[in-house]
Amino acid sequence: MVQTLREKFEPAWLTLALQGTNAISSSAKRGHWFLHLRYWRRMRDDFGRFAALSENRYSHIWESFTAMAFVKAQKSKAYFKRYQVKFKRRRQGKTDYRARIRLINQDKNKYNTPKYRFVVRFTNKDIIAQVTSASIAGDIVLAAAYAHELPRYGLEVGLTNYAAAYCTGLLLARRVLKRLEMDEEYEGNVEATGEDYSVEPAETRRPFRALLDVGLIRTTTGNRVFGALKGALDGGLDIPHSDKRFAGFDKDKKELDAEVHRKYVFGGHVAAYMKTLIEDEPEKYQTHFSDYIKRGIEPDGLEELYKNVHAAIRADPTFKKSEKEPPKEHKRTSAPGFWYNLKKLTYEERKAKLIARLQALNSAAGDDEDDDDE
Amino acid sequence: MPAGHGLRSRTRDSFSRPFRKKGTIALTTYLRTYRIGDYVDIKVNGAVHKGMPHKFYHGRTGRVWNVTKRAIGVEVNKQVGNRIIRKRIHVRVEHVMPSRCTEEFRLRKIKNDELKAEAKAKGEKISTKRQPEGPKPGFMVEGATLETVTPIPYDVVNDLKGGY
Repeated sequence: MVQTLREKFEPAWLTLALQGTNAISSSAKRGHWFLHLRYWRRMRDDFGRFAALSENRYSHIWESFTAMAFVKAQKSKAYFKRYQVKFKRRRQGKTDYRARIRLINQDKNKYNTPKYRFVVRFTNKDIIAQVTSASIAGDIVLAAAYAHELPRYGLEVGLTNYAAAYCTGLLLARRVLKRLEMDEEYEGNVEATGEDYSVEPAETRRPFRALLDVGLIRTTTGNRVFGALKGALDGGLDIPHSDKRFAGFDKDKKELDAEVHRKYVFGGHVAAYMKTLIEDEPEKYQTHFSDYIKRGIEPDGLEELYKNVHAAIRADPTFKKSEKEPPKEHKRTSAPGFWYNLKKLTYEERKAKLIARLQALNSAAGDDEDDDDE
Repeated sequence: MPAGHGLRSRTRDSFSRPFRKKGTIALTTYLRTYRIGDYVDIKVNGAVHKGMPHKFYHGRTGRVWNVTKRAIGVEVNKQVGNRIIRKRIHVRVEHVMPSRCTEEFRLRKIKNDELKAEAKAKGEKISTKRQPEGPKPGFMVEGATLETVTPIPYDVVNDLKGGY
């Protein structure tokens, strides 16, 4: 068993080192510390001793130096004793703490003034935009907007594209401003052109400032996050930004082509794709854009549609709770589903359970003793 | 070659992060606010190199006298020769935690105010002063039996048994 493993995994120099001292001395001259005789003598003599060697806490380092392990790479007890878990949200891969620290850190001489983050996250079928501030007990959400609310404003398809992101950002901005009663002062950019727009401070109050929090996405030019950012900017929020990452920014000329960006904001890229599919691959058009066809949305009508959605958002950005009842809770009775999502017991409940268990044990022991006595 | 007395000399252990607590710093250190007059403990976080106090101040408690963008000014007592100087240092918030030295006092103040308000409402007179622990009260010893122990006469034979 050992022999075959050796044949399989040993690189050529390893075999050489074990078989011939000449090879060792020559490599030792070259300075390869791992080919020094004393290491290999240990290994050569006793495979058991090597196995023991591989179980110490430096075994994983040793294995990486030997290019391939003879013994299977075990995580010894020592490994687990020394292992430091990362933060929970880092383990889940959801939070970038390096960025979070920098976004949340407020100047100490501003004391309790909240520092708001404009958080944008994309799921496969939804967009979540929130304005959040951090606190020790947990982040407090000032206002949130979801792409699944857009059907209320007339947009039912394409809820995760650039244009929908713009709508979501716009909805969130208007919602925040309405809640803070700043929506009359800060209209923002009503006419959605693609060019870079920053809010001008009005007479009485300064604009609402938030910092863009992209999360873990790769910030490439034309990413939908920046669509949401544009929506929020046009909605009237003050978010420090540059136009470098908006769709339509030309890397070589180093300027934003407002026309191209405007196209993206109004779904022009989707319309163009629809047109090419209608001409070249009508079947694919039928399957891909079936929902659009069902609602009678033509490629040319997209811009008009989004304009109406923008107007509807500006008219009434207030959040309406959905009238749907929450889904019925199914009580799980049988394994393994019974053990999923159990409610965390309180301290008293756990203590009571322990007492009950001990009593049962004592009574059972008592019965056994009675049986033994008899 | 002599040991050297640099700024961070002899801090190998005190400035090192505790076992399995290395890496990202928890966010509450950055979210806490400090006001002038608060008591704070200085505990150096070796992972953050900026705004570190000198090793003398590690483990000291002082009062906040200044608050800047990322650091706070702490006033700490230091004995220099035959006197104690109030030293003012600036420390980044990562090396500082709110002190609990006045916590007991503050809670006692609140409780005493409540007690006094209650007593005033009832019209009785109370003293909220803390009393030191007095001598333990007397008690009767329970379950004591008397055993009289008398010396036994010396027995030569028994003692020599082991010897000869």
